[in-house]
Amino acid sequence: MHIPDGYLSPETCAALYAAAAPFWYVALRRVRRMLNTRVVPTLSLFAALSFVIMMFNLPLPGGTTGHAIGVGIAAIILGPWASIITISVALLIQAVFFGDGGVTAFGANSLNMAVVGSLVASGVYRLLSARAPLGSTRRVVAAAVAGYAAINAAALCAGVEFGIQPRFFHDAAGAPLYAPYPLSVAVPAMLIGHLTLAGLAEMFITAGVVAYLQRTDSALLRLNTRATANSVEVARQSIWGAARPLWLALAALLILTPLGLLAAGTAWGEWGPQDFSDAQARARIASASGNQAPPAQAPAGLERLSHLWSAPMPDYAPPFLKSAAFGYLMSALFGAGLVILFFLLLGRLARAARGVG
Amino acid sequence: MKAIHKRDIAVDESESRVLLPRTRRRRRRLSSVERTLATIVWRTERAFYAEELARADGLLQHLDPRVKVCGLLLLLLDAALARNLPTIICVFAVALALALLSRVPLRTLAARAWLGAFLFTALIALPALFITPGRAAMRLPLLGWPLTEQGIQSALYLVARVETAVTLSLLLVLCTPWTHVLKALSSLGVPVVFVVILGMTYRYVFLLLQTAREMFESRQSRTVGALDGPTGRRLAAASAGVLLARTFQLSGEVYLAMQSRGFRGEVYTLDDFQMRRRDWLALAAFLLAAVALFWLGRRGFAPPSI
Amino acid sequence: MPEIVFDVRDVVYRYEDVTALDGLTLKVGRGERVALVGANGSGKSTLLRLLDGLYFAERGSVAFCGEQLTEAGFQDDEFARAFRRRVGLVFQNPDVQLFNPTVFDEVAFGPLQMRWPKDEIRRRVAASLELMEVAHLKDRPPHRLSGGEKKRVALASVLVLDPEVLLLDEPTAALDPASRSRVIDLLVDARGGAKTVVTATHDLDVIEDIADRCLVFAEGRIVAEGTPSDILRDEALLRRTSLIHAHRHVHGPGTVHAHPHTHSHRTHEH
Repeated sequence: MHIPDGYLSPETCAALYAAAAPFWYVALRRVRRMLNTRVVPTLSLFAALSFVIMMFNLPLPGGTTGHAIGVGIAAIILGPWASIITISVALLIQAVFFGDGGVTAFGANSLNMAVVGSLVASGVYRLLSARAPLGSTRRVVAAAVAGYAAINAAALCAGVEFGIQPRFFHDAAGAPLYAPYPLSVAVPAMLIGHLTLAGLAEMFITAGVVAYLQRTDSALLRLNTRATANSVEVARQSIWGAARPLWLALAALLILTPLGLLAAGTAWGEWGPQDFSDAQARARIASASGNQAPPAQAPAGLERLSHLWSAPMPDYAPPFLKSAAFGYLMSALFGAGLVILFFLLLGRLARAARGVG
Repeated sequence: MKAIHKRDIAVDESESRVLLPRTRRRRRRLSSVERTLATIVWRTERAFYAEELARADGLLQHLDPRVKVCGLLLLLLDAALARNLPTIICVFAVALALALLSRVPLRTLAARAWLGAFLFTALIALPALFITPGRAAMRLPLLGWPLTEQGIQSALYLVARVETAVTLSLLLVLCTPWTHVLKALSSLGVPVVFVVILGMTYRYVFLLLQTAREMFESRQSRTVGALDGPTGRRLAAASAGVLLARTFQLSGEVYLAMQSRGFRGEVYTLDDFQMRRRDWLALAAFLLAAVALFWLGRRGFAPPSI
Repeated sequence: MPEIVFDVRDVVYRYEDVTALDGLTLKVGRGERVALVGANGSGKSTLLRLLDGLYFAERGSVAFCGEQLTEAGFQDDEFARAFRRRVGLVFQNPDVQLFNPTVFDEVAFGPLQMRWPKDEIRRRVAASLELMEVAHLKDRPPHRLSGGEKKRVALASVLVLDPEVLLLDEPTAALDPASRSRVIDLLVDARGGAKTVVTATHDLDVIEDIADRCLVFAEGRIVAEGTPSDILRDEALLRRTSLIHAHRHVHGPGTVHAHPHTHSHRTHEH
């Protein structure tokens, strides 16, 4: 899913570079803290390895072959932060020196595959493998799911990036200037391709390498866990461990949000001025208010203040999505993501204020 | 099984993947191992060829790499920002002219860049011809599906942009030794540590490619029949595992070697580049062209009515 | 009495659960040319790395010109920089030592770390490249070099710093005969300007040319010491330490001999 040049507008590319940059910065700082002066040889060599693994042709069920990225392996063996840099470097070498993937689109590719891929792979792996022994089958399964999830998360991001192009970037006559497919086409297309092929390739190679390392009783499996011997990392690890049921519950809730669409009726008090002129809405308001008819016109104050803020995703339905259920899910993900990010930042500030890490 | 030779296979350059074997006797699907080997061989030969071409006696070769990186990047941006087709074609023409003046054989460009990118992009853009909303321009003869003007325009935009971008990036790589590209990056503001990492990565890519190639070749020579399905997967995973272990060991050794010569964590480079008169002239020319094409690109041209 | 450059006392070093050096003691004087001889895995490389301040002994001590080599000691920038300039190690595997994008960059790496002025660096690098006869390769990347060329570049990259002590780990390993003799010639003639040379090798053919004193290693200990000719004459020792073998070979039609020998370039007796 290496995005070539020409599919994303320069504005999108710039925005995605800007989105990836803080991750690169943070990743480099963390890796430097872990590895110290070993940063250069370690990252270089593992980036070279990632590049080579990207070239493997993996036979897939059905007689086709596919390529993996190796982000699952990198995230599991080296940890998410080293993986971000390693995969990014490999992608850059691929893009510039071997012509695979665009130069302007490098920020996008890096964000999708290196950043999102590493974080998802690492998170899923840690979640699923918990404290299982290093040689257990559970770890192999966790690795497989982690690789699969990472690729599909990256594909989803790429699909979204493609899909928003025609809406925002078209010429005077309305012809899309860049990727021509709207979200309703781009996202399913990317997902289908990766849920079936590329995702499987990543799954096989990630699980296969973990299984191989288990068979040869390699110290490499302990690399990442040893790296967390630092006390700050240990603290974070145990918080993660203690809160795991909460994370799982959150994930379950996120997935089940579209059920909210089944709820009949209207949330009392959450009306907009346009509801007062719509007959159906008026009937709903009346039945929810003890059969008292609402005023004929929207109250003046409501009318005035309703224009104060227009949400990017009104009614949990992003305007460019046709499916209501999908829109609900996206809103849930987005909202949850914002809240999590906010609290992570808060935690970071609090730790900095306390002078730790 | 014999070794893979370039003439035996067709390669889709844009993806650098093997499409089909071109054997003289009968077609046979390559196993995944053979494909991997072929990919590795291809990549390596491409890189070597680029290194040779970078020393040829052409226009771009003689320029300071910083000028080249900036100039070609600006042109790339122009092609990306253009809101009309004629501008993109202009940028492509400039790229073509530069290629010719730098003694890059058109055949190389065609094989390595244009063909693969065109096939790949055309395939992707095909549905857009039909499903992009807009004025119907014509109908397919048998099926009667309508092609919209906007669809055609958008497909043209995509293909033109992709081809131009691919030509420009290939030009940079073919006409500049990669070590110079890296050093140019560091003079242009990229942190030195990244440049050093990039350089070391590129250097060790070849070593690991060689190791991987040897592993696959030895396995291939010991196997009769196709190495597909679960066997092929296990082989790939085991190879990756072996490479992983070797990489880990190698990284430790390289670190020792670096320390032995005084490495304490800081990275330094010798900057060797000096701008000569021709470099300034080239820079000015690039800037002029970039601004002109940018201005041109922002104007709305009425799309030609079909 | 010559100055003691290296003073190694009762050094123990282990990798995981394998003991590489088991209570090793030796002294190297200034200007000596010492050969560490032993089969693979006998601990020679480990000792060289201890001498170069890359590994630090678990027990025992290693001193360079009277100063102890400790991990804490190397934290000091000045000490570390001075030491790295005075002692140079050429690794066995040149791919490990050639980690820079081009030959020129490789040779310039050491001087850059020493923070020498740029003009001087360029001068010294050019001189070193000339000395090792690799000046025509200065823009080549390492993966385009042959085995012999890599070795010479590796040597150049160490010699450019003009070290007092040169440590060589299997300098002739994996080289074709022509490259091998070239490397030995360079070492014998120039001695790279270095005064003290410690070479680890299992190649018995070269020790007479490159060393005055020979230490035989086996299983992490020194089991014998003497001049190269003494050691080469002691067949029982050489066989015990896996440095020679007995095999059959053909001397013309119908004549097959089997005896222990060292494949020397001198003709062997029967």
